[in-house]
Amino acid sequence: MGSMFRGEEVVLVQFFLPTSAAYSCVSQLGELGLAEFRDLNASVSAFQRRFVGDVRRCEELEKTFTFLQEEVRRAGLVLPPPEGRLLAPPPRDLLRIQEETDRLARELRDVRGNQQSLRAQLHQLQLHSAVLGQGHHLPLAAAPMDGLLERSPLLQPPGGPHQDLRVNFVAGAVKPTKAAALERLLWRACRGFLIASFRETEQQLEDPVTGEPATWMTFLISYWGEQIGQKIRKITDCFHCHVFPFVEQEEGRLGTLQQLQQQSLELQEVLGETERFLSQVLGRVQQLLPPWQVQIRKMKAVYLVLNQCSVSATHKCLIAEGWCASSDLPTLQQVLQDSSSEAGVSAVVHRIPCRDMPPTLIRTNRFTAGFQGIVDAYGVGRYQEVNPAPYTIITFPFLFAVMFGDVGHGLLMFLFALAMVLAENRPAVKAAQNEIWQTFFSGRYLLLLMGLFSIYTGFIYNECFSRATTIFPSGWSVAAMATQSGWSDAFLAEHPLLTLDPAVSGVFLGPYPFGIDPVWSLAVNHLSFLNSFKMKMSIILGVTHMTFGVVLGVFNHVHFGQWHRLLLETLPELIFLLGLFGYLVFLVIYKWLCCSASSAATAPSLLIHFINMFLFSHSPTNRSLFPGQEVVQSALVVLALATVPVLLLGTPLFLRWQHRRSLRPTGRQPEEDKSGILDSSDASVAGWGSDEEKVGCPGDREEAEFVLSEVLMHQAIHTIEFCLGCISNTASYLRLWALSLAHAQLSEVLWAMVMRVGLRMGHELGVAAVVLVPIFAAFAGLTVAILLVMEGLSAFLHALRLHWVEFQNKFYLGSGYKLSPFTFAEED
Amino acid sequence: MLEGAEFYFNVDHGYLEGLVRGCKASLLTQQDYINLVQCETLEDVKIHLQTTDYGNFLANQTNPLTVSKIDTEMRKKLCREFEYFRNHSLEPLSTFFTYMTCSYMIDNVILLMNGALQKKPVKEILVKCHPLGRFTEMEAVNIAETPSDLFKAILVETPLAPFFQDCMSENTFDELNIELLRNKLYKSYLEAFYKFCKNHGDVTAEIMCPILEFEADRRAFIITLNSFGTELSKDDRETLYPTCGKLYPEGLRLLAQAEDFDQMRRVADHYGVYKPLFEAVGDGSGGKTLEDVFYEREVQMNVLAFNRQFHYGVFYAYTKLKEQEMRNIVWIAECISQRHRTKINSYIPIL
Repeated sequence: MGSMFRGEEVVLVQFFLPTSAAYSCVSQLGELGLAEFRDLNASVSAFQRRFVGDVRRCEELEKTFTFLQEEVRRAGLVLPPPEGRLLAPPPRDLLRIQEETDRLARELRDVRGNQQSLRAQLHQLQLHSAVLGQGHHLPLAAAPMDGLLERSPLLQPPGGPHQDLRVNFVAGAVKPTKAAALERLLWRACRGFLIASFRETEQQLEDPVTGEPATWMTFLISYWGEQIGQKIRKITDCFHCHVFPFVEQEEGRLGTLQQLQQQSLELQEVLGETERFLSQVLGRVQQLLPPWQVQIRKMKAVYLVLNQCSVSATHKCLIAEGWCASSDLPTLQQVLQDSSSEAGVSAVVHRIPCRDMPPTLIRTNRFTAGFQGIVDAYGVGRYQEVNPAPYTIITFPFLFAVMFGDVGHGLLMFLFALAMVLAENRPAVKAAQNEIWQTFFSGRYLLLLMGLFSIYTGFIYNECFSRATTIFPSGWSVAAMATQSGWSDAFLAEHPLLTLDPAVSGVFLGPYPFGIDPVWSLAVNHLSFLNSFKMKMSIILGVTHMTFGVVLGVFNHVHFGQWHRLLLETLPELIFLLGLFGYLVFLVIYKWLCCSASSAATAPSLLIHFINMFLFSHSPTNRSLFPGQEVVQSALVVLALATVPVLLLGTPLFLRWQHRRSLRPTGRQPEEDKSGILDSSDASVAGWGSDEEKVGCPGDREEAEFVLSEVLMHQAIHTIEFCLGCISNTASYLRLWALSLAHAQLSEVLWAMVMRVGLRMGHELGVAAVVLVPIFAAFAGLTVAILLVMEGLSAFLHALRLHWVEFQNKFYLGSGYKLSPFTFAEED
Repeated sequence: MLEGAEFYFNVDHGYLEGLVRGCKASLLTQQDYINLVQCETLEDVKIHLQTTDYGNFLANQTNPLTVSKIDTEMRKKLCREFEYFRNHSLEPLSTFFTYMTCSYMIDNVILLMNGALQKKPVKEILVKCHPLGRFTEMEAVNIAETPSDLFKAILVETPLAPFFQDCMSENTFDELNIELLRNKLYKSYLEAFYKFCKNHGDVTAEIMCPILEFEADRRAFIITLNSFGTELSKDDRETLYPTCGKLYPEGLRLLAQAEDFDQMRRVADHYGVYKPLFEAVGDGSGGKTLEDVFYEREVQMNVLAFNRQFHYGVFYAYTKLKEQEMRNIVWIAECISQRHRTKINSYIPIL
């Protein structure tokens, strides 16, 4: 938990990996996931690196794996996930795996090829029999023949030139999509020298390649003349038709058909045998492939890391650089020693100084991960910056709950989150792929706390599905009011609205023990009472939250040793914020404590007071809250305004002074003292030398490149942003009031328009019972959809904004980057 | 079509235009070429191409890698993209796409007929055909013996049919005839395409017309250059020139009379656009060829086409640029595989 407050210390380390043990070292590091490697060969292109050959072999293997995987998938089988912990295989195993994979792939290819060709043969046979069995009844061929036969008794049998008029046949099958084009082309190319008939096959045939059933168009073309025949053959070729010999005699065709059926039966038997063998091979693949895939992926990752290392001058070891948490350094050393013990020379790791800003490492657990995620979505913190996440754990759900306060809604949310938390270890829940579900699931602890806090604020607002609960007796007594002011029956009949006056003794017995008195839910001025309360509460919460943010900045300054910023930035900021808005908070609380019902008529208006404070004026009708108020107010305004120039100029001037002082002892440029602001850029160049020994601190760099105008500009932006921000951010916190009001009103409306209507509907027991079922269903559905999901999302969004903008801009830069260690572990 | 394409262009074609602009961003940059040139083997080329938008398009190729494999795969990739565009297009963009494929179809038909003339098996030639110009009846081309046969039997249903008006004849095919047929087809194709773009109006016309004019003039120059020392008569030559370019009509008449390269150069000198191109051509030893110079100019025009929005020219330009890129990669790959590195740098960079 300690590292939650700020990122862990991360150091740049250099690894000396003996060439023989480098592979095992890196693979061990990958298993542990401790260090992030830096690319030392950024200038070398991918194919010129040292281990590119090994990477290529791994890729080659992966290609084969893809083939095997595809085959398994095509057979409708599933690859089981690999079991157990698989380490990256030693490099010599690569050869074995490669051989075995190749053998498997070869076998599979052979069997698959056999199966393909058998299937193709079978397909061919089936098509042939389909074509023959289709029974094109040769209407075309018959007609001239009949004509000839009829005439034959009258004329001489045809002979001589008529012998050429013999009709020839081409029969075959073509894909239905191409049939029309084929028919047209045939007609155009051969101009009536042929007659073709097309017919669709009755049953569907399996495609030998894809295995999908498809119908075919069989065709029978009869033509006269050899020339035409050649043309037809060319055309059928170009349409990829299957053409079969066609025997003219019916009996001959039947004979062929039987023969074909016989052949296809035999083929099917052989095919069955082949498929059995295929499934055996696939079974082996199924068993072997998953572990191999994991292993080779690890191996490739290791080689890719090794590609980032540079080679030492003696070629005896590889040098790698990387970031690593300093607390992990002993573990790292141990691991390297263990894994390089075989090689004889042990791998060494040691810290090296660096000028770059190290990456940020904040270890999280499943509870804090969600909150850290909220912060990181805004920006990963700079190295060792104060991390807002631990405070967010409480403030985020709380601010959410202020806007979402309702016991019932909070309870539903809490239960939903609780169910997720309790089921989090179930594999089915983890493995769910639904993106929306995953979002909710990863924020389950956030939801849990948000629900819990909503229940709490719900009790404070005294609202449960917009209804007030009477846990304690109300602090107001109507009876006392009635007896004191002597309401008669006639008076009551005339006045539907009656006022309870707290000034009358006995009417207001004392504040309600916890939250809002339930009697308010009956009052018509319920809303104006709540508005006043919620508005003031928003201001108080907002100013507290922002002040907390400014105070957190102190830890940053102390940690980075920038003591001047404590005095020149944080202090003026605090004075400005507290002097103006802190005073407002004070006024609010003071008025709550000191003004009672008896003095209600002459109660001072805070708004007027606050406006007058800035105008240095005084309105006679507005009673002052405490003696000497004007003096205090004027003093505060002057003080606050006085802090602005301090904030604006303090840091830049101090930095300039410090910079000059650091230059003086070096004495390199004595005239530098006299030179003006314009020369400071030259000075920055000279400053490099003196700063070189103080490496590692991010502040040094800025100092080295000191340019006054830039620093001034930066500080001016910061000052303007802060001073204006104080006003606008305070106003921004009023969204707490607005959203909480909206939520309360919406749930009130839902109750009044749906549930109350339903409850009033029938006075007989039966009717009410029947009607209430759909009504309640509607109420429940709308509650979940609108009040929980929609309102919840909007409140979430506003809470997010309050944290990102109003809170974090007081101290959090968020311009760092995350440490992403080299690890084999899969991301959750 | 109404003026003001920007108001409604995106309704029909906005998605595709966005897509093609995204695709254009994936063209190889100068840095990529520098890296490619440094490669030692084709395997290196493959590894480098993997880091670009080509991804692992060669992943499923069995070893050893050859230039033609790379070329085929690149073509396939371009073809996939083009098919995607085409399948998602609406009129009149789909007609535009059809026009774009016509030039490839003409090339394929001519290729197949040449093959048939030399009695080569169809399958062998089919591999060489450009996938963008494929059509069903293509393989049946070799049954035709005369141009009118070819038209009536095979091409009447294809988009090429309208271009046949000028080249119906009963002569049987020989090599010269086929070449004439190609050029006549190309001429009517270019003119028709030009007319289509012109009629479409708007930005499309503003972008596409100059590109097509250039294309037409380039053909005229190339035809002239190739006809020197052949039996082609000057009158025949003139009938082959596409008439939609900047050279029409005077320039073409002059070109028809040209007898050698210098006379051709003199014709080009009259035109501000072509003068610098001819000046850039090197003489015999080294320097650029006329073809390269034209390619460079084409690339330039196509890149500029992306500066305007709401027009169809981007699709044309993208396809042409991608083709140029493929030519570059093939050139570099050839140089590497033949260990002939002296000329490796004469590719034409695009971006």
